[in-house]
Amino acid sequence: MSTEVHTDPQPYGVDLQPKHAAPTTFLGKYIFSTDHKVIAKQFLWLGLIFLAFGGALAMMIRWQWAFPGEPVPAYLGGVFLYESDGIIGPAAFNSIFTTHGLIMIFFAITPALIGCWGNFCIPLQIGARDMAFPLLNAASLWTFVISLILVVASFFTMMGSAAAGWTTYPPLSTNVGTPGWGQTLMVLAIFVTGSATIMGSVNYVTTVIRLRAPGMTYMKMPATVWGLWLTAILNVLFVPVLAAGALLLVFDRCFGTSFYIAGANGNGDPVLFQHLFWIFGHPEVYILILPAWGIMSDLLSYFSRKPHYWYKGTVMAMTAVTILSAIVYGHHMFLTGMNPLLGETFMLLTLVISVPAEMLFLNWLHTMWHGSIRTTVPMLFTLGAVFVFGLGGLTGIYLGTLSTDIYLHDTMFVVGHFHFTMAAASLLAIFAAIYFWFPKMFGRKMNPMLGKAHFWGSVVFITLVFGGQMLAGYAGQQRRLWDPFQYTFLEGLHDLNVWTSYAAFALAIVQIPFIINWFHSMFAGEKAEANPWKVGTFEWMLPSPPPNYNFDEYPVCYNGPHEYANPEVKRLLGRDWIGQWEKLPEAGESSSTDDAAAPAVTPELATDGAAE
Amino acid sequence: MNATYTMGQVENQKVVHLHPQQTKQRITDQIGLIVFLGSWSMMFAALFFALGMVRNNLGTWPPPGFEPLPLLWPSINTAVLLLSSVTLHYGVRSFRHGYIARYRNLLAATLVLGFAFLGLQFMVWIELWNSGLQLTSGQYAAFFYLLTFFHAAHVVVGLGLMVWLVPQVMHAFGHPKREGRVRLASIFWHFVDVVWVLLFLTVYVL
Repeated sequence: MSTEVHTDPQPYGVDLQPKHAAPTTFLGKYIFSTDHKVIAKQFLWLGLIFLAFGGALAMMIRWQWAFPGEPVPAYLGGVFLYESDGIIGPAAFNSIFTTHGLIMIFFAITPALIGCWGNFCIPLQIGARDMAFPLLNAASLWTFVISLILVVASFFTMMGSAAAGWTTYPPLSTNVGTPGWGQTLMVLAIFVTGSATIMGSVNYVTTVIRLRAPGMTYMKMPATVWGLWLTAILNVLFVPVLAAGALLLVFDRCFGTSFYIAGANGNGDPVLFQHLFWIFGHPEVYILILPAWGIMSDLLSYFSRKPHYWYKGTVMAMTAVTILSAIVYGHHMFLTGMNPLLGETFMLLTLVISVPAEMLFLNWLHTMWHGSIRTTVPMLFTLGAVFVFGLGGLTGIYLGTLSTDIYLHDTMFVVGHFHFTMAAASLLAIFAAIYFWFPKMFGRKMNPMLGKAHFWGSVVFITLVFGGQMLAGYAGQQRRLWDPFQYTFLEGLHDLNVWTSYAAFALAIVQIPFIINWFHSMFAGEKAEANPWKVGTFEWMLPSPPPNYNFDEYPVCYNGPHEYANPEVKRLLGRDWIGQWEKLPEAGESSSTDDAAAPAVTPELATDGAAE
Repeated sequence: MNATYTMGQVENQKVVHLHPQQTKQRITDQIGLIVFLGSWSMMFAALFFALGMVRNNLGTWPPPGFEPLPLLWPSINTAVLLLSSVTLHYGVRSFRHGYIARYRNLLAATLVLGFAFLGLQFMVWIELWNSGLQLTSGQYAAFFYLLTFFHAAHVVVGLGLMVWLVPQVMHAFGHPKREGRVRLASIFWHFVDVVWVLLFLTVYVL
């Protein structure tokens, strides 16, 4: 409880974001909207569609590693590989794993995590009516759509889509390695989606700086906003570096320069691309996990019904990781002939990251310690994300250490590691966020039974799939092999690969409850009340779904985001939580409903969350 | 209390108060633009990093067989661009203080200088291209063309922004919203100018 806050509801004496009338036409409402909530939904839809697309590609990779040379069943082969009757040839395989990686990172996780929740949560949770630049926000979405069109178009080119690996290393990615138009279109798509990301991130950064509600200090912002804000800062700083690398690559591919082609006229340097790529690429892995950390930090506190343990520490740890992530990229390049002293420096800096990460982890555990834990679906997904991120983080130490990385480099161990961290943890956090904010987003609740089925299936099979990959990598299986078992020393790993593939197929099948739940809940789910989870951040003071201008009057922030189990609140209000917008009544008053300073407390909200 | 400033010396004696909401929105706009330019300068930083790495690898710069780039016209061009920044700066000041005629002249001068810069840049390109320094003739040429071309694209955007400001000079003066636009365009133009100075030093001089 803070003692003094700036309580002027309009801090600058003016209406900073005038209310706009709700759009009336279908196009204005659902397609060309500048409302941040609609744009968030559009990003979520696009992200989920491309998640399914990337997932289908992943199934084909797993099929090839279990049953190399056999035609891919279940229509997948017929759709993607109609020319070869569903058999994955070496060139097609290169294309499949490349596009799987690129689509999942840039066109599935990024929109579904950053595009969606950044747009949805930031204005609602800081008490703003929209983003700082709504039009720029819409421009970001439509630029992203252009990049999606480029991605899809690349599949219809003569020699197939990109095939140089998701890292797009030259010389593989130059005209020497991949001469087709597919690779060029994919590099352009990355450039365009980078522009969309920059637009969105400039918006996020400015919005958080300028549009926080009165009383909403940085330390009273929910962790979700912190994670998204730090991600936006990293995006703003490092996506342009990728864009520069892609620009040089486009020049090499289209205009005859040789920035990256060694031995050609003028001595280009392929390692230059690796530098530019990883200066961006290492922050990128934190770009994909920081919003997830933020969401997890919040949800763990909400569903343990306890204040977040040492919230300042969590925020400091996330900030420290953000800063450190910018100076460790060299650990991706230990084997490029780097000076050993430089290698050791990068190793040391990399391992230092585990200190703030441990801080974060301990804070999460302390938050749950002695909490009154509610095993709701979002909480289960959060716990799953904590678990898989723990596995991924621990195995990262082997890869950050020079001596072990020399053996593990470019094996399936690396693949397992980054899938645990970037894919599994981010994805489970996305699902946690979907189950958590679905009532606010669509005004209806999701079915918890289907959600729990989805959770248990997902977390078990995710662990088996990526754990299987790690075991195979530890045993020596290189990544990106078309048919690993043509090498004698890998023949013994066939069974392991088959079982890993079965787990992967099962992982795909357990997404069916989610799809049913998603569509069923959206159209026929139980109507959600304003605050179904009894949570105190700003979005829950609004009806579900919120009106297009969000806040009728600007809210004032009195409390931190995680005010639970406060005995004083329990005594005065009779519940275990208090909204950020609520002023605790003076001693003697029994209810805050007649308190003019806190008009948003409705009788419905004042029910006891602890009795749930 | 509402006005952040008063345009005392407006020629048509129209005194304009800036509404506080517009003041606030203007600060937001400027922060947004500065965040964006910070982002964009990372792109240039990455390109300069690439240039530095290649130079470091090659040892001698320019590489054997290449003449150093000419300095005369690019130096004049640098002066032209710096001058355009000065004229724009004083133009924005005149606008703020309500001297619309002076603003009009200085904006026109900035536009002329900007187009002169582009013209001179084309001249340098054509001269070098004809002398055999082409995009495909190695790292030295490739970096020269890439950086100067990329910068010229920004000059085009900056000039476009200033052309966008022209109608307000022609029509009624004094709408406070327009002052924000002038500011934003000028910040962008100064950014393009600073990048050029760095580019001139790294590509031509050093």
